[in-house]
Amino acid sequence: MAVPLLRSGMRIKPYPWLEMLPVDPLSQALAMLIRLLGMAAIGALFLGLSGLYLKEQKIERMGHGANIVLLLDRSNSMDNSFAGKAPSGSEQSKADAARRLLNEFVDHRPHDLIGVAEYSTSPLFVMPLTENKQAIRAAIDATANPALAYTNISKGLGLALSFFDHQTVSGSRIILLVSDGAAVIDPDSEAALRVLFKQQQVRLYWLFLRTDNSPGIFAEPEDSRDDNAQSMPELYLHRFFSSLNIPYQAYEAENPGAMQKAISDINRLEQLPLHYQETIPRRDLSGQCYGWLAGLIALLLGLKLCEV
Amino acid sequence: MRSSNPIFKDFRFWCLALSLLALLVMALYPTQIQKRPVYKLTFVVDITRSMNAEDYSVGDKAISRLEFVKLSLRELIGKLPCQSQVGLGVFTERRSTILFDPIEVCSGYAELDKSIDSLDWRMAWAADSRIAGGLLNAMSLLRGKETTLLFISDGQEAPPLNSRYRTDFAEVKGKLKGLIVGAGGLQPVVIPKFDAKGQRMGVYGPDDVPHRSSFGESDLNPEKIEGYDARNAPFGKHAATGSEHLSALQEGYLQQLAAETGLAYHHLQTEAGLEIAIKSPEFALITDSEADIRGYYVLLVLLLLLSIFY
Repeated sequence: MAVPLLRSGMRIKPYPWLEMLPVDPLSQALAMLIRLLGMAAIGALFLGLSGLYLKEQKIERMGHGANIVLLLDRSNSMDNSFAGKAPSGSEQSKADAARRLLNEFVDHRPHDLIGVAEYSTSPLFVMPLTENKQAIRAAIDATANPALAYTNISKGLGLALSFFDHQTVSGSRIILLVSDGAAVIDPDSEAALRVLFKQQQVRLYWLFLRTDNSPGIFAEPEDSRDDNAQSMPELYLHRFFSSLNIPYQAYEAENPGAMQKAISDINRLEQLPLHYQETIPRRDLSGQCYGWLAGLIALLLGLKLCEV
Repeated sequence: MRSSNPIFKDFRFWCLALSLLALLVMALYPTQIQKRPVYKLTFVVDITRSMNAEDYSVGDKAISRLEFVKLSLRELIGKLPCQSQVGLGVFTERRSTILFDPIEVCSGYAELDKSIDSLDWRMAWAADSRIAGGLLNAMSLLRGKETTLLFISDGQEAPPLNSRYRTDFAEVKGKLKGLIVGAGGLQPVVIPKFDAKGQRMGVYGPDDVPHRSSFGESDLNPEKIEGYDARNAPFGKHAATGSEHLSALQEGYLQQLAAETGLAYHHLQTEAGLEIAIKSPEFALITDSEADIRGYYVLLVLLLLLSIFY
């Protein structure tokens, strides 16, 4: 960028208007002025040509928002309706309902950083924490594709927690788990998850989409023989989350309406003040440069017209 | 205009006036509509175990097929023109899944870069590598969406294919544009093996993998099979031996799949080669875009100004 500037400086040094110069101070001053204006005009021209811009800036602001990881269940059962059947007619599958409501949720959270992780038998890293709402919606929309296999929740949780590694931005850290079932977490993973949840200072929301006739999160077993993680994984997962000593809230939804309510509840709860960085995109200044160029040329033209 | 006025005879006046006029026109018409190719791609990456085979190298270091694919794709997204879109999916077992629909590459560069970098063989939700099935699945998922499929695989079916049971692509043939990208070298190499914790523990040996399909009816001539029994031993009495524990790019097979599906084929060797293969006119979507043409006006002004001061 500097090269054209230097060159332009050199080029206009040969002083052109000698023949116009009568020997008097005013004219000399004017001639000087003309030369300066010419230099300035060429300077502005090169600045504009070289694409002068104001760098992208980050401004720290206070707002309402959070760092949210959406952890979505992609197990086969999510493609069924809340009645536990393949959706027919106007019925919505659980995944459809979740997709619609999550998209609305994302629209209501302008300042949040949102990331997306999915899990079935294995965890799937989908989208890092980002402000790019178009990208998040693209990830949520892609859950319209058929679901995958089984439910392996511990790996999913591990992946979701890893989103907050090396992340220094302030604001609350939230994992929003959307699932329609739970699975047994083996003791090793349980211990590891306990440590991670503590370290990462995460707030956990579990939106449980309960299918008709299945035990819910809060159902205590009627028969003590059923009181084990294998037969009541949801209850045991709920107990595990409650025992983590982290802010935790579970919602059980049997229909899209209840889901809607839970999501607006989370939306309302997570309006804590947050320092966030607002990115001001880089501004192109070449327009301004050309404006100056035009002004300077107009001045030169004005001086020219004053010429006697 | 009085021609007697000496100002109007001076070329410098006209140069200045013309400059100002050029800038005025520039303010009114700063851009020009130009036709420009953009691309809408969906990458579907094979994350089965054979993609861990290390037959690419960067510098002196051998890296796995999957790592090289990730590097190439990350470099590629930086070279696509703005307004191009890229989506991402993975393939394992006999199915593909789309992680996210195409997003714009310039505004979403950081997100794309990170998600491609996070692809991992441990994302696979099931073992097996039924490439034809995965390809068919990917094609039917993307059918009807205006996107170009980039299906990246080494072509190694595991367990091996029984030629009696071929995937039928008639339903999707020609319904989707795209490219099958073959990853890997042509020399068979060992496949690394990992334990449940992700620690590397040697390589797959001949006893670790099935060497032929033993599903359904045999595709061999019964008279040629030793110990053949139609009900109890349709594949003969001997265990199959073979070299399925080694992996090489099955270029012939992928080319055959390409012919059956109406996709093109490209062997991934360098990132630049992949870029050329993708930027073929077949995959380009032509869009109108506004190109900045202010530079031309300004160059004219520069010439005029220099002529005054020279």
